[in-house]
Amino acid sequence: MNEILIVDSVYLKKDGRDIVNGLTFSVPEGTLCAILGRNGAGKTSLASIIMGLSGYRPTSGRITFNNVNITNLSVPERARMGLTLAFQNPVSIEGLKISNYILLGAKDKNEKTAREALERVDLDPDIYMKRTLDKSLSGGERKRIELAAVFAMRPRLAILDEPDSGIDAIAIEKIKELLLSFKKINTALLLITHRATIAEIADIAYLMDAGRIIKSGPPKEVNEFFITKCGSCFHSKLPE
Amino acid sequence: MERMLNEYEELIEAYERTGGVRGEFSNPNIPSLIVSGNKILGKNVVKGLELESEAVENGVNLRLTLRKGTKIFYPMRLCFGLVPKDGIQIINMHAVIEEEAGMNAISHCVFPNAEHILHKMNFELEIGRGSFYRYSEIHFHGEKGGVEVTPYIKGRVGESSFFEATFVLKEGRVGVFDTKYDIEVLKNGSIELYAKVWGKGNDEISIDERAHLTEEGAKALVKSKVVISDNAHSKVFSTIDASAPYTKGHIDCTEVVQGDAIAEAVPTVHVSNNLAKVTHEAAIGSLDSREIETLETRGLSEEEAIKVLIEGILS
Repeated sequence: MNEILIVDSVYLKKDGRDIVNGLTFSVPEGTLCAILGRNGAGKTSLASIIMGLSGYRPTSGRITFNNVNITNLSVPERARMGLTLAFQNPVSIEGLKISNYILLGAKDKNEKTAREALERVDLDPDIYMKRTLDKSLSGGERKRIELAAVFAMRPRLAILDEPDSGIDAIAIEKIKELLLSFKKINTALLLITHRATIAEIADIAYLMDAGRIIKSGPPKEVNEFFITKCGSCFHSKLPE
Repeated sequence: MERMLNEYEELIEAYERTGGVRGEFSNPNIPSLIVSGNKILGKNVVKGLELESEAVENGVNLRLTLRKGTKIFYPMRLCFGLVPKDGIQIINMHAVIEEEAGMNAISHCVFPNAEHILHKMNFELEIGRGSFYRYSEIHFHGEKGGVEVTPYIKGRVGESSFFEATFVLKEGRVGVFDTKYDIEVLKNGSIELYAKVWGKGNDEISIDERAHLTEEGAKALVKSKVVISDNAHSKVFSTIDASAPYTKGHIDCTEVVQGDAIAEAVPTVHVSNNLAKVTHEAAIGSLDSREIETLETRGLSEEEAIKVLIEGILS
């Protein structure tokens, strides 16, 4: 299977601190990969580096996406190649209709696409199509709209930073269904999560600590290692 | 005759650019007026609405009367403009909304080829008891910024009546925009004044909105949203003067500044009755970089993302 994303020996130093330390891993096309790790392990920084966000250009290393070196490309250039990111805390945008937001990155910019995307995240299109993406939405609603927008975009790879945070237990099953449905449209996912129930649907899991990958393998195995070995780890010491 | 037809066509095209629909001027159920310079190119009134018009040297004098008890279903469509690149248009409008009457009006002021144009609107408004009047003014000034626009509204809103005025200038350049609204609100009457303007280049924007709550229970909301880019300059003066008991008012001014633009906001609250309550808020800031980055992750360029955000703010 071809690799849609290759992160090769990437380092990032910010304000004199090592954030990412020689990180190397890859995501095969159309697969679900989970990134596990404690708070401060560098997971969100990794997402920002891959997407090319401001302040997150690697100090060294190389990122290849769909066989193209994207290390020095801008965010929109990466997005137009089929790479996107759903932030952990999505922003509110005053006055922008939810339907228009969902369709921003979609290839088929029609009402049907927006409605289908909302249904996928269990939000009633009749209610949400005309609402705006403002602060009246709850954190959970906003997260689901973000996932709907990513689904409508049908990217080659989506990085989802904590897609389950702020989402209630009832909706979480629907979100898991949605995450699995990305495979059907040949979208690979990089799932950044703390929750074992989300990680377990992945094909492969990576465990991050102190800015590097310390273990990879089947999600169950990596998660067990995370709980047993990292529980007492204080970051200064990496588990053997 | 042919020249008039061409002028009509050009104005209608610009009217459509600001969201107007061509067929509205030929629908007998929709009251309308279309004025190019000082020429009245079309006029339609409906039962209960009177509209006297008179061409003068550089514009028109209009007297609109909505008779007592008349409620008009369709908003009246007004189109004022100038097709040539140079010229003056002065609209003197006196509107009387009699008791228990109500109507909406949408005015499109279009200057598609403007290089040196002065457009003045002197609007006197009287709203009788128990009535309403909603007035929206949407402008299009072309891309050269050669327009000076001075819409002045002076009015009185009667007992238990409602007046809403919305000014929108989002498309093309602003040029010089100097607006003054000065409205007195009587017992239990209320007004809402909205301004949404996007200034670019070296545009100069001055918004001066004053509400006088002179009788018991009168209310006012004065809300301005201004985005300025490049070297544009904006000044927003919003004033609520509350002198009667149980009056309420709120001023809300948001300005977004980009590039080397300069914004000023001066909310003024004047309260001379201890049973009145008036509040204000003003915020001047830049666009949120996280919002821009979020839109970039969907493939929008920085410029496209900024446009989407500004359109949202001014929506």
